[in-house]
Amino acid sequence: MLRYIVKRLLLLIPIILGVSAIIFILKTFTPGDPARQILGNDATQEQVDAKREELGLNDPVIVQYVRYIGGVVRGDFGESYRTGEPVLSEIVPRLATSAKITLGAVAIGAVLGILLGILSALKKYTWVDSLVLVISMFFQSVPEFVVALVLIMIFSVKLHLLPATGIETVKGYILPMVCVGLSSVASYTRITRSSMLEVLSEDYIRTARAKGQTEGNITYHHALRNAMIPVAQSIGTNLGNAIGGGMVLETVFGVPGVGKYIVDSITQRNYPSVLGGALIIAIVLTIINLVVDISFVLIDPRLKTTIISGGSKAPKKAKAAA
Amino acid sequence: MSENILEVKDLVIHYETDEEVVEAVNDITFTLKKGQVMGLVGETGAGKTTTALGIMGLLPSKVGHVIQGSIKLEGEDLLRKSPREMRDVRGKRISMIFQDPMTALNPVKTVGDQIAEVVLLHNRCSKAEALKRAQEMLAMVGIVPERYKDYPHQFSGGMKQRIVIAIALACEPDLLIADEPTTALDVTIQAQILDMMRKLQKDHGTSMILITHDLGVVAEMCETVAVMYAGQLVEFGSLEEVFDNPKHPYTRALYQSIPSLDKDVERLHVIPGMVSDPSNLPPYCSFFERCDEKCDRCRDFEPWAVEVDPGHVVRCLQYTPEWNGGEK
Ligand SMILES: Nc1ncnc2c1ncn2[C@@H]1O[C@H](COP(=O)(O)OP(=O)(O)OP(=O)(O)O)[C@@H](O)[C@H]1O
Ligand SMILES: [Mg+2]
Repeated sequence: MLRYIVKRLLLLIPIILGVSAIIFILKTFTPGDPARQILGNDATQEQVDAKREELGLNDPVIVQYVRYIGGVVRGDFGESYRTGEPVLSEIVPRLATSAKITLGAVAIGAVLGILLGILSALKKYTWVDSLVLVISMFFQSVPEFVVALVLIMIFSVKLHLLPATGIETVKGYILPMVCVGLSSVASYTRITRSSMLEVLSEDYIRTARAKGQTEGNITYHHALRNAMIPVAQSIGTNLGNAIGGGMVLETVFGVPGVGKYIVDSITQRNYPSVLGGALIIAIVLTIINLVVDISFVLIDPRLKTTIISGGSKAPKKAKAAA
Repeated sequence: MSENILEVKDLVIHYETDEEVVEAVNDITFTLKKGQVMGLVGETGAGKTTTALGIMGLLPSKVGHVIQGSIKLEGEDLLRKSPREMRDVRGKRISMIFQDPMTALNPVKTVGDQIAEVVLLHNRCSKAEALKRAQEMLAMVGIVPERYKDYPHQFSGGMKQRIVIAIALACEPDLLIADEPTTALDVTIQAQILDMMRKLQKDHGTSMILITHDLGVVAEMCETVAVMYAGQLVEFGSLEEVFDNPKHPYTRALYQSIPSLDKDVERLHVIPGMVSDPSNLPPYCSFFERCDEKCDRCRDFEPWAVEVDPGHVVRCLQYTPEWNGGEK
């Protein structure tokens, strides 16, 4: 098990190197001088030059890159050009806010999607099935910010039930969570439906019927757990999408999360913050995917042998007496 | 109480899909006495599994339909029972062992739980008692009872089949339907499993329908034999009658198709021609095209069942007054 975790964490190295390389390359091609950006238009050229020297912007890009990676290894993501604060300490509280919204969104999307998927599998080829398909396709194809604006119109402007922006109260979380969540419903519905249909036609379902088991228990005890395996696997992927969607929506809803932080930093050419934000999200995603994969073991006992012992065979059990 | 455990009469089962109607079982009639073992043999696609699923009430929903007939278990017509009543029958009074043990067990449940499930469904007992029964059953089929906590993927194919048998026998059913219980296993394991099944069947006096391709197995285990062809029972009778005195041309051809040690393997007789397509059966004898005993009148009639000797029924024109001489 430990070997497996270490192996997976080692994957972080190419991810960090790659993500930061991309952003460094973008940085060299973007016009404008970050030093000028920080000091404002009133600063003299000498002041700007001094700042450039201080920030190390005069060094070759490759030197800057190596220096940056060296910092990351020590947990130093640089300082924000705008505030001078360490990027890490600016991001951590925002990360918590984003995490709440993302987790809420994944929960809403997964619960709704799984329920709808089960429903359409049990009622396959009926009008219920088609209706579920249409609804979930609708939420998948309409852009999230459009859904967001419509929900703001209804719940904030017309009904005055929920705030349009900000997260001063807990209510502020609801609309962003729902918007991001709805966009992933279709994907969960589709995966649940097809995996449920596949599982329901398995021989062991017939075995359960041959025991005299009720249809309800067959769905719940025999089919669901098997059908959830691909669904759980898709949570990792959906999480990435939810974070991406969340970034845009944080700006729409004025939520001070990592997404808004990165978007704001991009407009300010605040490279350390952009880079730090992107890297931290990549690291968090990798770790979450690892946790998701390990948790499969809880659902599917067959994986225990492959994951825990890192691929080698499980110890041989006592042979049958015959 | 009648001495028959099962009476199937005039049973017709169709599969109706969008494209076609498959006439899988066409008007079959047979009876099984208490404690007896009946062999149900026939080529692939003959309708053996369909017959078994019909008896179990497990035909695929929407597609499989019983068109007519009756299936009486100790005099009660199963076809008239509600889904709820059928659930009480399945697993308790009739159990079935399916063709493929590899896929018959739920991969995410321990084998102990899977045996205990059927015990809990049909007995008033606690989970702990059911698990204890599960361990007894494992021991009975020759698996170390402590392994009840293991998952199906930790067992070999032969052991999985033993577990499937343990599930089927856990509630001591009156009737066991075994659908090719050993075809998916290799030859040495086949013999072990069959020995075990025969012993359990004898000990408990269970009545059994054994579906198989293997006439050797039938000869060893069965008291009566039903030969199926294209959804019909072409011959039914006691093992001695059917084996020593086969009446139907298909049964005779089948015997010639078994490789035998004392015969020259080179002369292995393969029945020429293809099995009739059950979605497009002729209005006359469905074995006509492949029969080497047919006469010119065979095309005019769908043969009906004739009792040639007491308890020995054959569906062939030869044994009716319509027959006008073979061309052997
Ligand atoms: N779900 C289904 N839908 C449509 N046709 C079916 C279905 N199941 C079986 N059939 C058809 O019914 C006929 C009888 O099938 P069945 O499975 O009863 O044969 P069998 O005698 O058990 O064969 P085997 O020895 O291969 O198991 C075959 O022609 C088969 O194609
Ligand atoms: Mg079959």
